[in-house]
Amino acid sequence: MTQDLAIVGAGPAGMAAALAVAEAGFSVAVVDEQARAGGQIFRRPPEALGERHGSYRPYPWARELIERFEDHPGIETHFRSTAFGVLRDRDGLASTALELAVSTPTGGRKLTSRRLLLATGAYDMPVAFPGWTLPGVMTAGAVQSLLKSQKLLAGQRVVVAGSHPIQLILAAQLLDAGAEISEIAFARDLPGLVEMAQSLPAIPGHVSIFAEGMRALAKILRHRVPISRRTVVSEVVRTDNTLELRLSQVDSDWKKTGADHRVEADVLALGYGFTPSTELARQVGCDLSWNSAGGGWTVSHDAGFQSSAPDVFVAGEPTGVAGAERAWAEGHMAGLTIAASLGAAIQPATLARARRRLAGAARFAGVMHTMFEPRRAALAELSRQEETVICRCEEIRNGTIEDALQNNPFMQSASAVKLECRSGMGPCQGRYCEETVAARIAAIHETSIEASGYFNAHLPVKPVPLQDYRDIGDE
Amino acid sequence: MVKARRLATKRGGDLRITFEGETITAFEGETLASALLAAGVAAFSLTRTGEPRLPFCNMGTCFDCAVRVDDRELVRACLTDVREGMQVRRQEVK
Amino acid sequence: MTRGYDTIVIGGGLLGCATAWMIARDGGRVLLVERDQINQHASGSNAGSLHFQLEYRMIERGVEAARKAAEAMPLHLQAAQLWSDLPGLCGQDIEVKQTGGLMIAENAQQVELLERKTEIERSWGLDNRMIDRAEIDRIAPYLSDRVVAAALCPTEGKADARTAGPALARAALQAGAEIKTRTEVTGLVRQGGRWHVSVATAESAQRAIAESVVIAAGVWTTRMGQMMGAHLPTIPLALMMTVTQRVPKLIPHLVQHAGGRLSLKQALDGNILIGGGWPARLIRHRDGEPNFDAKPELLTTSLSGNADMAIRVLPDLSRIPAIRSWVGTTTVTPDQLPLVGPVPGQPGAFVATGGSAFTLGPSFAQALAALIECRLPETDLQAFDPARYGRQ
Ligand SMILES: Cc1cc2nc3c(=O)[nH]c(=O)nc-3n(C[C@H](O)[C@H](O)[C@H](O)COP(=O)(O)OP(=O)(O)OC[C@H]3O[C@@H](n4cnc5c(N)ncnc54)[C@H](O)[C@@H]3O)c2cc1C
Ligand SMILES: Cc1cc2nc3c(=O)[nH]c(=O)nc-3n(C[C@H](O)[C@H](O)[C@H](O)COP(=O)(O)OP(=O)(O)OC[C@H]3O[C@@H](n4cnc5c(N)ncnc54)[C@H](O)[C@@H]3O)c2cc1C
Ligand code: FES
Repeated sequence: MTQDLAIVGAGPAGMAAALAVAEAGFSVAVVDEQARAGGQIFRRPPEALGERHGSYRPYPWARELIERFEDHPGIETHFRSTAFGVLRDRDGLASTALELAVSTPTGGRKLTSRRLLLATGAYDMPVAFPGWTLPGVMTAGAVQSLLKSQKLLAGQRVVVAGSHPIQLILAAQLLDAGAEISEIAFARDLPGLVEMAQSLPAIPGHVSIFAEGMRALAKILRHRVPISRRTVVSEVVRTDNTLELRLSQVDSDWKKTGADHRVEADVLALGYGFTPSTELARQVGCDLSWNSAGGGWTVSHDAGFQSSAPDVFVAGEPTGVAGAERAWAEGHMAGLTIAASLGAAIQPATLARARRRLAGAARFAGVMHTMFEPRRAALAELSRQEETVICRCEEIRNGTIEDALQNNPFMQSASAVKLECRSGMGPCQGRYCEETVAARIAAIHETSIEASGYFNAHLPVKPVPLQDYRDIGDE
Repeated sequence: MVKARRLATKRGGDLRITFEGETITAFEGETLASALLAAGVAAFSLTRTGEPRLPFCNMGTCFDCAVRVDDRELVRACLTDVREGMQVRRQEVK
Repeated sequence: MTRGYDTIVIGGGLLGCATAWMIARDGGRVLLVERDQINQHASGSNAGSLHFQLEYRMIERGVEAARKAAEAMPLHLQAAQLWSDLPGLCGQDIEVKQTGGLMIAENAQQVELLERKTEIERSWGLDNRMIDRAEIDRIAPYLSDRVVAAALCPTEGKADARTAGPALARAALQAGAEIKTRTEVTGLVRQGGRWHVSVATAESAQRAIAESVVIAAGVWTTRMGQMMGAHLPTIPLALMMTVTQRVPKLIPHLVQHAGGRLSLKQALDGNILIGGGWPARLIRHRDGEPNFDAKPELLTTSLSGNADMAIRVLPDLSRIPAIRSWVGTTTVTPDQLPLVGPVPGQPGAFVATGGSAFTLGPSFAQALAALIECRLPETDLQAFDPARYGRQ
């Protein structure tokens, strides 16, 4: 059966779009690797814990969105299922349908649809430095989702490091769970009064988010958690069961000044921001554009969130990381455009409302961007040592990459380095080394990260058993 | 060993899985990653040079949590729900 | 600014890099121009199989077609030797393993085809022989019981397509060649007995002058021919490849199938490479002309068909994860024989392409270097002369 729309990702963007399209009377199928709808931000606890809902603070709209999504009879869902590639059916030059290759718990299957929406979200921005592969070093998202959805505290003594404001919220959640926070290290200064004042006009409608931040900060201060500003983790070593971290001072450009101190922890939670998940978009041939504040490479799209690839739409973080409100608003707008492209009549008032909501969310996201954009080139310099692992999967070290660049002066692109050094050829498909490789090329050739380009993505965007390939041929 | 701790909360029924032949108790609704972290497993996967890896992203993107489940290779523990009787092995040479 | 060279090589795939290296090594002043990066097209995306037996696509249309295809055998025999010498000759690390190739048969009809094919190959001097199931059990116990016989060619094997091109580019640099990447040849004019080559980068356009030019442009060969007004017919083929996760050492051979599209082998790193000529969809412009700048599209039928073939002969593969499937575009010619030699009607211009030109790259390069240096090539090139297609 051909669905009107297939969606990858059941976060705010995917759910909002699914509802807009299903409510216009079209059939929708949604695929997500997680066990339930909600996406990364909500990471709901499993059904076995007995509750339909988790905590959605500070997003009051989440509860209703999830209920409407789950209760809508026109939306078919496939959870614990990985969309591993997009294929196209054609009649001559004309594209007739999209085929989503999906790995489900019971094998491979093909979902055929007239339109496709990629609402694949984002993942924590990787920053390589000596020791970032050690057990106990985790992304902030990992520590947070274990807490939120699994009620599991990853370790008793935690260092929270990075530059994203969510770090403060994570720290407060960890304190609530009974963890000790040895230190919070912030690469930048905390926002000053001037910046706060400048951001005020963007706040209406987002007061609850700021309130959440203030609550978190108050809790951290009450617990007398040491907060170091202009500080990054520059090295981790592991002795027995303890992580020993070196926290280095940086200047306003996030370059190391030389001063550092050490602290011990069981777990290091790293959060420098988010990188959009664009692998399916790359694989299906969507154009990308570089947007550092939006997380790096983002999917280009028009006002209705259609990408450059025919019939493929995109919403939420892949268009530029901008938070849950904006993801919802983009998903909604994408859904309306898709419904219209399928033949639905959309009321001008509905469209106008959708546009207003998008604009409001954009203002807020813009403020967050300018305040918290990571200094990418400086962070990449943390991994310049010979032995530091750049590609976690293939264990390609910095020395190998720098040697390749020295010996092959004709290599200037991330893809060429990938082919030569194997960095990015392991199971994670280069998600965790692409930017470091690109930054290294930029540093050595004195160009920009953007000029190094990005890795091509291939099917399967996440490895699947060869049997799943075989299965998608079955009708 | 990373000392992960289950917070006091209502959980699903208990069940048993094995990791490298050792029996581990887990609770319905848990992911394999949670169950193995709570059991203090020292390495979910080993890299080609034998370095131990534990979950890094807990959202299915890094593959550091890859294990072998009932002979299936490269199964992401963070996206796999525990089931009674699951036989789990370390993923060697990720 | 205009610079003078003995030879300008157009294209930085395996062929271009090998040719530039050989000419520079022999003392020629060489410029290699590549519009993208070195090794990013067919040469960096192929299966790396060193094919010396006739391949499935050459035998699927029967014995007569096989006999015709076998005319390229001298180039293959030369390649077998060249590949094993290549790392030593160019002084670079290139992974080359010639541990034997098997073309397998599952039934009597395929066995017969293999026998006929082996005869033809042996008549050209290729070391190739039939082996029975007992011998398969001894040397290739990993193959499923369905396999009843095979043709074994001891010199077949694989080389690392990821790194061979750049290694030859480094050798060329060290021998004194110049390499310009992200630089495209946009015009080719012969004036005053020399080639005037227009080259463009994102920033600037320049002109370089050379006594001779080499078209090593893969699927762009026909277009380069048109640029100089020559007829160099090629047929583009978009193909798919898959690589699996690393697994313990299992398959020492290059495995092919006499009854279908399959090639299977294990890289030094342990990953299994699966291919064999399964098609991808070539993207075309509205006027029907192929658009080589657009990535060909994967086909569901190829993904499942190739996996099915692979799992049939190696059932354990079903649970091994596929890590990546990719596509590439390569050329064959209308008569399935390669195009190697002078560009008809264009003095000082030479070309090579067509067929398994990763395997044949070093042979092609050696032939082109000889022609440019006015030596007699070691192999008789008559059957591959581009002039056989006339001037159109
Ligand atoms: C750990 C974490 C915490 C965050 N906290 C906040 C916060 O507090 N406030 C805030 O504003 N923003 C936060 N963000 C940013 C967050 O990404 C967005 O706010 C919001 O979740 C975006 O919604 P979305 O619908 O675009 O994507 P997501 O909610 O991320 O949903 C994408 C979904 O797609 C699924 N998916 C991706 N690829 C595939 C595939 N190939 N096959 C199947 N399924 C796939 C994922 O499993 C995921 O469920 C956080 C992000 C992370 C990672
Ligand atoms: C999927 C696949 C699997 C294959 N498997 C095998 C195999 O196992 N064994 C085997 O022997 N063969 C195999 N082949 C065939 C083999 O890959 C090719 O025949 C061979 O790589 C051709 O090399 P080349 O250097 O001629 O072309 P290419 O590697 O394509 O190089 C041509 C170069 O020319 C450049 N160029 C083009 N136009 C211009 C211009 N105007 N200016 C500057 N530069 C230009 C291009 O950018 C390109 O880099 C396979 C091919 C594919 C696609
Ligand atoms: S922890 Fe990263 S994929 Fe599971």
